[in-house]
Amino acid sequence: MMQALPPPPPAVEALAPERSVATTEEVRVAAALTDARVMVDSSFRGASIVLFGAVFNPTDDPADVVVVVRGPDAPVRLVKKTRNTGVWLNSRPVLFEGAPGFYMTASTRPLSDIADFGQLRRLGVGLDHLRINAPQESRTVTRYGVRDVVVSRLEDDYLDWRRAVIRLREGAALYNSDPEGVEFVDRGLFRAEVELPAVAPTGEYFAEVWLFQQGEPVSVSNLTLTVEKVGIERDIFEFAHRRPWTYGLLCVLLAMFTGWAASRVFRRH
Amino acid sequence: MDIYLPIAEVSVNWPLLVLLGATVGFVSGLFGIGGGFLMAPILIFLGIPPSVAVASQASHVVASSTSGVIAYTNQKAVDWRMGGVMAAGGVIGAFAGVELFRYLRLLGQADLAVALAYLLFLGAIGTLMLYESLGEILRRVRGDVVPHKERRRPLWLYGLPLKMRFPRSGLYISAIPPFGLGVFAGVLSAIMGVGGGFILVPAMLYVLRMRAGVVVGTSLFQIIITTAVTTILQAGRNQTVDIVLSTILLLGGVVGAQYGARWSGRFRAEELRAVLGLIVLLVGIQMGLELFVRPSDLFAFAPGVQ
Repeated sequence: MMQALPPPPPAVEALAPERSVATTEEVRVAAALTDARVMVDSSFRGASIVLFGAVFNPTDDPADVVVVVRGPDAPVRLVKKTRNTGVWLNSRPVLFEGAPGFYMTASTRPLSDIADFGQLRRLGVGLDHLRINAPQESRTVTRYGVRDVVVSRLEDDYLDWRRAVIRLREGAALYNSDPEGVEFVDRGLFRAEVELPAVAPTGEYFAEVWLFQQGEPVSVSNLTLTVEKVGIERDIFEFAHRRPWTYGLLCVLLAMFTGWAASRVFRRH
Repeated sequence: MDIYLPIAEVSVNWPLLVLLGATVGFVSGLFGIGGGFLMAPILIFLGIPPSVAVASQASHVVASSTSGVIAYTNQKAVDWRMGGVMAAGGVIGAFAGVELFRYLRLLGQADLAVALAYLLFLGAIGTLMLYESLGEILRRVRGDVVPHKERRRPLWLYGLPLKMRFPRSGLYISAIPPFGLGVFAGVLSAIMGVGGGFILVPAMLYVLRMRAGVVVGTSLFQIIITTAVTTILQAGRNQTVDIVLSTILLLGGVVGAQYGARWSGRFRAEELRAVLGLIVLLVGIQMGLELFVRPSDLFAFAPGVQ
């Protein structure tokens, strides 16, 4: 989706109503997850959890449900290929100070039909509106001895960079928006699936379940879930990052042993 | 049949990887080379990040060179002294190369460096090999007299200090050129993930003029030391060695190498060199092509921030 205007500065977070202030007259949404702790088997499949909930709607107005799941924020570095005298070269790395490591929306209808641009932007709902941290002014920071350019949201190409983050993350199944992801199984009872790919970051995730009526958010339910990774592949990953030197030595010894074993086996034949 | 590679963070079809390892192993056994230059481009083509491909296959080179050295040791075709001097240079080159690679990777330029190194070195070596071996084949077909080759070493080899005796190679020369050669191979092993045999062997033959019988064994010995150090350094500094990937590759690789070695006796040396030269040249061009073709996505993530 193209948007002409650069996004306005992130507004104050919309105040979330208390989780259960229930009266029978009030329009309200309640939700729960099948698992508050998700073990992502870091084989190639990832994990899938189900969010289910109920809508209490005593009024005659139809209500829309929007589920937003955000993973932990982390800085993102990007490079852009540019053509220099016929050769495609990478630019200096550009840094976003924080972007959700995972982001998905699921809704009953396309988001643009549920609420208007300003409302979605204010709530940070939708891939076009998700908050990616960028300061007012562009500057450089030095990380690992490399000078990065921090993206400023006032620069001309800010939107290109922002779209690139979203596009690349969508390609990795880390960002996703499903306009038909919320499915009503019965009157007032809905479910949505949260698909976590194997590369999803570990940590605390926040889920918001919004209820919209006539383009206005009328109720929200907040949930948290913890994502952990398990499995032999994860153990190898941890080992390689916690004790890199031992790991490297092991790799070499394994290689030498294999080479030696092969020459023994084949000499006998 | 997919398997998840924990460091590369991609899923690949594992029988395909075994087959790839076996094919590259066969080629390396056939031509008496490490085969690293062939492996990295194919791995990158399969979608494995270049930095992981280059670092992981270094350990594949360790395995194939180990079984090679054992065979050559039994034939007393390894000059340990020469190999030791070159390996000392290789270790220093590996340190420098891994640091350079780390810096380039954080700068987001690792892919570019890999592509450029392949284009430059493989392009040059491939062209030379093809030119030289095709000339030889043409002469044989026409029945021309083989021109007498210049048998003298370059004079500057005699002027350098730190002279050492290398009895097995039949040399009494300065230790600086073999040491320098080792440094160069070390840097290449860090950036390209190759053993460097395709540069070492011609240099040892035509520049140092070592006794031909010990050239391959000695270069393999130096390659083991250099690539072993490179693997440990890549794991320690960059965390880019994927043990699952390298294990799968070397399982196929060691078997393929043995069969390749058995086949190599069936062909003439210059024909083998012509084919190898063509392969080297094509790989170099293929890797260099990405520098000139418009990429499908202009943007890419750079590593470094978790």
